[in-house]
Amino acid sequence: MRALSIASTGMLAQQTNVEVIANNLANMNTTGFKQQRSEFQDLLYQNVMTPGAQTSDQGTFAPNGIQIGAGVKTAATYRVTTQGDLTSTSNPYDVAIQGPGYFRIQQSDGTDGYTRAGNFSLSPQGQLVTQDGMLVQPGIAIPANTITVQINAQGQVNATVAGNATPQTVGQLELTRFPNEAGLNAIGGNILLETAASGSPQAGVPGSPGYGTVQQGFLETSNVNSVDEITSLITAQRAYEMNSKVITAADQMLQQTSQMAA
Amino acid sequence: MDNSLLVSLSQQLAAYRSMDVIANNLANISTPGFKRESAKFEEYITRVAPSEGQTGMQSVSFVKDAGVSRDLSQGNVQTTGAPFDFAINGNGYFVVQTPQGMRYTRDGHFTLDANGQVVNSDGYALQGDSGAITITPADTNVHVGQDGIISSTVNGLASQIGKLQVVDFANERTLVKEGANLYSTSQTPTTAANATIGQGMLESSNVQSVLEISHMIEVMRAYQATASLSQSQEDMIRQAVTRLGATPN
Repeated sequence: MRALSIASTGMLAQQTNVEVIANNLANMNTTGFKQQRSEFQDLLYQNVMTPGAQTSDQGTFAPNGIQIGAGVKTAATYRVTTQGDLTSTSNPYDVAIQGPGYFRIQQSDGTDGYTRAGNFSLSPQGQLVTQDGMLVQPGIAIPANTITVQINAQGQVNATVAGNATPQTVGQLELTRFPNEAGLNAIGGNILLETAASGSPQAGVPGSPGYGTVQQGFLETSNVNSVDEITSLITAQRAYEMNSKVITAADQMLQQTSQMAA
Repeated sequence: MDNSLLVSLSQQLAAYRSMDVIANNLANISTPGFKRESAKFEEYITRVAPSEGQTGMQSVSFVKDAGVSRDLSQGNVQTTGAPFDFAINGNGYFVVQTPQGMRYTRDGHFTLDANGQVVNSDGYALQGDSGAITITPADTNVHVGQDGIISSTVNGLASQIGKLQVVDFANERTLVKEGANLYSTSQTPTTAANATIGQGMLESSNVQSVLEISHMIEVMRAYQATASLSQSQEDMIRQAVTRLGATPN
């Protein structure tokens, strides 16, 4: 009986759906987190009678055909890359991106990673680093006796050093864009990696055409909408339940069948 | 074997088929653009020799598959906010280029690939009026109008990228489902006349859970009724054998 296996594909798909929703809700307060959604596709069809099959020599055709589906599969889980809200933190090294783009950081193995989480700090050497101590690229070093740091919307980093009233430029933040940012590979720790699907990175100065601007003293919150997620959770749970009901019904039919022979 | 058992058998097979179709509908309740299906059956009549006490040929009717029909009604439209999620309101299909040729779909979830082409989850290119649609990094604020016209802002100036191809068919019901939310057909597509596009939205499946569950219960009960009918038929035969076959002492 096919209904059993079809309903089990439905339950599996809804399970994935709930897992994705759970991850979104768990990351509601993760800086720069992007909401994920699961995308489903129907599985192959068994053609018992193809639609439009000829039913007589007089040229009459079956209007419908008989195609029996095999269930559903998860085609993809994709990130919805809409802008998250900006929240004020007053921390001079918190930088939010308003608009498209990612910060480029150097991972511990020397390769590039990309992130929208701009909650930076200083390393013991005075370099701008992420919360995991990875260097922000291109490297920016803040002089030791700095009083204030100003980062403007175009990403220019100016430091006012003790004994000198004129701020000096100590670095320039860069943003990176990808042809397909949904194709980036998330590896955890708010870091995304380049893939064949994302296309090659294109670096640019914040505020130039196509790139977002940066905002000092702000963080980008996750773009997860709790009402949305809870509604999806309810829908997914009910759909899971209904698929399990199909299994129960199919099971009862099979039971009846085996009892007939008693 | 007795005809009544065979008639019951045909009904039970039909119930299995119905169950499969219902299971597939419920499994695809979250599949965008999915259209619910229902199994249709027809009567098949045969003539049999009259049984004891009857005259003339008797007719016995079996049930057989007639087809699976698709409910083409519009699914609910859900807002996703993703710039390349499109929902078709009205009749029509998106066109995607697959290695097997053009395929049609109502699943409007697309993304960009590494070359900036608009593709579906399997990487097949969505077709505009002049082939695949490419969004360059310079294009910002990509906007798709109700008529399917794709425009963007390049360096502060409005620029037109193309127009989504939305097609319709003379006979939508004969489109063959290919899986992966795609349809194929040998019909020649025509430009859809009454379709509007919604950007940042997806059409959900038009499966209605209440309808499917109640239909499922109905099928299950019908199956149980037939099963108990077969059971009583079998009992009758058994009794006949024991009574008539009992040796008088």
